[in-house]
Amino acid sequence: MTENSTAGFPRPVDATLHGATDYSVGAALMTVFPRLARVEGTPAGRQIRTAGAIHAGYSTLTDYPLGVVRLLPYKAHLAIDAIGALALAATPFATGQFRQGRSQWVPHVALSAFELVSLMLSDPTGRGNYKADVAAVRRSNMEDPHRKVHDKTPAVTRRSDSVARETAQ
Amino acid sequence: MRANVWSGRNTVQVENVPDPKLLNDRDAIVKITSTAICGSDLHMYDGYIPTMKKGDILGHEFMGEVVEVGRGVSNLQAGDRVVVPFPIACGDCWFCRHELYAACENSNPNGGLAEKMFGHPTAGIFGYSHLTGGYAGGQAEYARVPYADVGPFKVEDDLPDEQVLFLSDIFPTGYMGAEFCEISGGECIAVFGAGPVGQFAIASAVMLGAERVIAIDHVDYRLEMARNKAGATDTINFREDPDVVEQLKLLTGGRGPDAVIDAVGMEAVSGHVPVHAAERLKQAARAETDRGAALRDAILACRPGGIVSIIGAYGGLMDKFPTGALMNKGLSIKTGQCHVQRYLKPLYEHVKAGHIDPSFVVTHRLELGEAPNGYETFKHKEDNCVKVVLKP
Repeated sequence: MTENSTAGFPRPVDATLHGATDYSVGAALMTVFPRLARVEGTPAGRQIRTAGAIHAGYSTLTDYPLGVVRLLPYKAHLAIDAIGALALAATPFATGQFRQGRSQWVPHVALSAFELVSLMLSDPTGRGNYKADVAAVRRSNMEDPHRKVHDKTPAVTRRSDSVARETAQ
Repeated sequence: MRANVWSGRNTVQVENVPDPKLLNDRDAIVKITSTAICGSDLHMYDGYIPTMKKGDILGHEFMGEVVEVGRGVSNLQAGDRVVVPFPIACGDCWFCRHELYAACENSNPNGGLAEKMFGHPTAGIFGYSHLTGGYAGGQAEYARVPYADVGPFKVEDDLPDEQVLFLSDIFPTGYMGAEFCEISGGECIAVFGAGPVGQFAIASAVMLGAERVIAIDHVDYRLEMARNKAGATDTINFREDPDVVEQLKLLTGGRGPDAVIDAVGMEAVSGHVPVHAAERLKQAARAETDRGAALRDAILACRPGGIVSIIGAYGGLMDKFPTGALMNKGLSIKTGQCHVQRYLKPLYEHVKAGHIDPSFVVTHRLELGEAPNGYETFKHKEDNCVKVVLKP
């Protein structure tokens, strides 16, 4: 908790936000992105759909707050993100499809750049957005939150009541 | 001494730092017995308040025992038990003489910075960035209190710390918010936000004689506290139905509340997910400093000719501020950092008379060393957290 992960370069994207981005971008790449980028039915479209599926797939296996089966360490997830981004950018040039026009390589490079920027902004510690040890808080708390919230004894007297009480006195 | 220091966004840590010393004749040194984490501390924790420096001691709600006073402080002596108001005020300038302590002209050595942002300097505040003077705060074992002949309020009865601690900020702030509403008896007041300040705004509106007080929040347990303890007559959870304006109209026969209190401030949450996502993104990208979901709904819901009382902390600029609704409905806006010194005595009398027990908001009492966990628990509203008191 006391580690200062934000020293130096700002890394405002915690593991929860990173996970939300993984799923939303993965879903977009698998569904609407190829049509929006006008590469539907082309090799580029298929490559981008595959990249989205792989991304969403290993996200479900990552050990972070939005992971489903948390087998993959968060730092390994980030490393795969980086390798995947570079591989995606390199694909059109490796296959030679870049010669068929800009639509066959610009989306790959743009997505790769987006991924690398989001990686640069991600806090690599893998902490979710709640970093406290709630068990420790409960152990050291000298108050009972449940009682304080649910007890029905009012803490304040209505003015009419207090005026009446003072008048009676 | 040990102190809770800011060391970057979302990071605080308890460190050993040098003990404070008397720097001026009007200073006092206070050994802190109770201190609290305020909702506005979270704005610094979240990184939205500029001019924070690593190592700054946080905390502006504290009380304790005077251990040393400067030559110019004649009203206090070692051993006195005091509550320290969060605005630092000289007591001599035009504003202090008019009881506008939070606008003191002399207590903020970085007033020039504030003047550039706000047009005028604001008072110094303990532990609240260099924009408000860079004063060391009270989440520590000791604090230096400048102008100690003006601010600290002597507690001469044996009331427990937690019944008087909140006189330092959230009780007077909530009370001022309710007082702005010009309650004379029978009004309907809507309070946006059921955090600690919101709870006190609700309780104060009840104390002042409002007939209906409607609490609005998206956290069930806070709304429950508002009903059970603070005296709210109705509650609205905007997670269940995000159209707060419509719900307030339904509850008030279509007219709208007579006055609305914004006890939320710059990190407001909207029940409309796309709206919230867009505002969150703009704020994170620093395209705006203040998220306006609560204030916009407050202005739109308030009845024509009504009062909009703003006590939630805002720091800079907000997009889509509804000037049209404000003007065409003839609303009055009343706002400000609380002039705490003005309210200390009368509110202390209310506590003493048993009209209110301010300790109702305390859900967590932790040792100072637990401050980092306390900040996270408060920020994320875990474990039914409403208010954290730290014991140095």
